[in-house]
Amino acid sequence: MTELHSHDHITCQEVVELVTDYFEGALPADQADLFEQHINFCEGCDWYVDQMRTTVAAVGRVEEEDVPDEMRERLLTAFRDWKRK
Amino acid sequence: MIAYKFLRPDGTSPFTGFRWQLPNGGPGRWVDAPVEPCRSGIHACRVSDLPFWIGRTLWEVELDGEIVEHRSKLAASRGRLLRQIEAWADDLRDEYTRMCANRAHELVNSISPPLTAWDAVVEPSIPEGPALLGFVAARIAEEISGPEAYHEERARQTAWLTERLELD
Repeated sequence: MTELHSHDHITCQEVVELVTDYFEGALPADQADLFEQHINFCEGCDWYVDQMRTTVAAVGRVEEEDVPDEMRERLLTAFRDWKRK
Repeated sequence: MIAYKFLRPDGTSPFTGFRWQLPNGGPGRWVDAPVEPCRSGIHACRVSDLPFWIGRTLWEVELDGEIVEHRSKLAASRGRLLRQIEAWADDLRDEYTRMCANRAHELVNSISPPLTAWDAVVEPSIPEGPALLGFVAARIAEEISGPEAYHEERARQTAWLTERLELD
């Protein structure tokens, strides 16, 4: 769980760190409160959270069989190489 | 219990997208939801909560059933819109934004040396609207005098809104 710097407000960086927990309803009420206060005044973070929500919804609909064979191979290769580094 | 709620111009909630039935010659219909602050329930503001949730349109809301007081909001199991606070319109939103910007400049220059880095963000923030300017003024106060000053600045904003919107 992200340690907040302040109990009265959160930073843009903390919004990025907390966004997944926010979507999953996993934030304690006080942190969710500060998260929503922040996106209420910060246009950039509001946009970011909207984009993340859209991305999560889109990715959630992708099934394994939706990924073309060539793309699957490239992804598997990339992950294998990443693991070796 | 009477409380307040900011909505988008189309009557939807900024966080959930829920579309409220707007009053039309009488209160909107009751909406029911189990109470769980920030997750479920009818969320609304006490007057002192308004600066934290500034939005485009402001409504008086009647809450009923279980009502939980949270740090900066209320959560109730029932709620309905009673009336729009018409005074919260473009001109007053702009006036509030300007008031917060002026206050931010005043705070920046109240110490020596002035907080020039903070001063530089005030005017460019104005197009983003009143919620951001209220936060900027409160953060500058906190930067100068500590966390209590943040809340004192928010209380100052509450007093301004209470008077100009003629709220109790």
